[in-house]
Amino acid sequence: MSVFKDKEMAKELFGDLWTKMIKETEFGEKLKKSGISILFVVKDPDIVMYVDENGPLFDNEAKAKVPVVTMQMDGDTVHKYWLKKVNIPKALAMRKIKAKGPVSKVLQILPLLKPGQELYPEYCKKYNLPMDV
Amino acid sequence: MDYFDVNMDLTKEDKAIRAAAREFAQQVMRPISLELDQMTAEEVVADGSPLWDFMKQAYELDFHSILLPEYYGGQGLSPLQIHLVFEELGWASFGLSVFLAVACFPAYCACMTADEELVETFVKPFCECRDGSIRGCWAITEPDHGSDVIAVGEEYFYSDTMQGNLQVTVEGDEWIINGQKSAWVSGGTVATHALLHCQVDPSKGFAGNGICVLPLDLPGVSRGKPLEKIGQRDLNQGEIYFDDVHVPKKWVIADPEYYVPMLDMILASANLCMASWATGLARAALEESLTYSKERVQGGKPLIEHYSMKQRIFHLFRRVETCRVVSRTAMNLNFNISPPHVEYSLWAKVQCTEMAYKNIHEAIQIWGANGLTKEYVLEKLFRDARATLIEDGNNETLARHGGHILAETYPRRPLKF
Repeated sequence: MSVFKDKEMAKELFGDLWTKMIKETEFGEKLKKSGISILFVVKDPDIVMYVDENGPLFDNEAKAKVPVVTMQMDGDTVHKYWLKKVNIPKALAMRKIKAKGPVSKVLQILPLLKPGQELYPEYCKKYNLPMDV
Repeated sequence: MDYFDVNMDLTKEDKAIRAAAREFAQQVMRPISLELDQMTAEEVVADGSPLWDFMKQAYELDFHSILLPEYYGGQGLSPLQIHLVFEELGWASFGLSVFLAVACFPAYCACMTADEELVETFVKPFCECRDGSIRGCWAITEPDHGSDVIAVGEEYFYSDTMQGNLQVTVEGDEWIINGQKSAWVSGGTVATHALLHCQVDPSKGFAGNGICVLPLDLPGVSRGKPLEKIGQRDLNQGEIYFDDVHVPKKWVIADPEYYVPMLDMILASANLCMASWATGLARAALEESLTYSKERVQGGKPLIEHYSMKQRIFHLFRRVETCRVVSRTAMNLNFNISPPHVEYSLWAKVQCTEMAYKNIHEAIQIWGANGLTKEYVLEKLFRDARATLIEDGNNETLARHGGHILAETYPRRPLKF
């Protein structure tokens, strides 16, 4: 069972998190400069989310976009990633995270996301998500 | 020599990148490679050797960091652009191509972690380096273990009878490393850093291995002598010895829990490089032979005017074009998905190195006795090409590994995302 109560909760949380990252941290400018857009295909809860410098889009709006990089993982891996508890090489090797797009761009995304990792504990408190995973 | 590219979609940037690589390959890399080929293995790496001039110029032009993301100071090239550059470098010298590529292996694997300390310690200084003074190696091969270190489809790979020559004792937050790597470690005697494979849990055989990155100036590290060999003499190779070398766990890239899939990921990348350099090598054989056959007169007319010679030249050409299609296709796939479909990298390496070797073998037949002399580049290319059938996993072992993957996965399902 996923740490996220349901799809709507996850969409609300990540919609807010990504918007905040883009508008209130250096992430937005760095994402724009990099020219990278990302499609997240998340399982359990099933979410499709597209992110570029303009903010996040979900479901059909997201599916209509052509991203530079697509990343697929389950909801618990997403949660652990934002808590800095995912060993990336291990997750890639064990297929916990699958990626499509130029490897150099995939490798570039990981450090870009750090501001989100700093913000995420606040969201865990707000949505009562476990942090000792 | 320029070539017609069947890919009609190359951008101006792609073409500019290829032109820059070609100029470097022709003006700097090939001449230095020929010079190094005539030297002893010790002389190749001695102070004042042209090898260091090559490295300095390569680093100044950022050829050392083309596999690394822009974010860290690398070039962030697309898979196609990487191929365009590597084909040119492989044309100039297979050995120096290997030397330059393994220089980035520790940084390449370190940046997969996105760990800030690893990035600051290993990745950024490497990308910023402009004089070749920071250079890595891929230390996997061992005196008692050649290609079997990658034979993950074989039962013996998981047997406790497979005792590595490099053992790790885990103590607290450290790995303590003892043993040695073989004389076939590319860059082994002169590298400043290593991507190091070593055995952590011998009860699991080589599946109990792990990988770390480390600087090679740590106490307890020593080197062997540069290896003398028939081909790729411009490529430094030699042993690295470890005597109670303490490595912090934070430098560990993979532990035994996920060593096998991690090994496959690294092998997939390395084999793609081999395949693209082999394309350049195959092309060198074609170009040398086409030029020679227009100049060399036999039976009262240039060789190329003989019917059988046209046929031979065409076969050289078709192998080059096939190499390019195969290696680009595999690179475009596996540098665009993570984790990679390893069998396509193995396909490219085996196919392209075999065709490159065949091309040079056939080219020598075209050249006749002149192809055997040191007066011309062909005999060096032949010696270099022979080594490619063995390095980065001999082709027989790679084929068995590929067959194992096919048995497990074929046909692959389409990527669903």
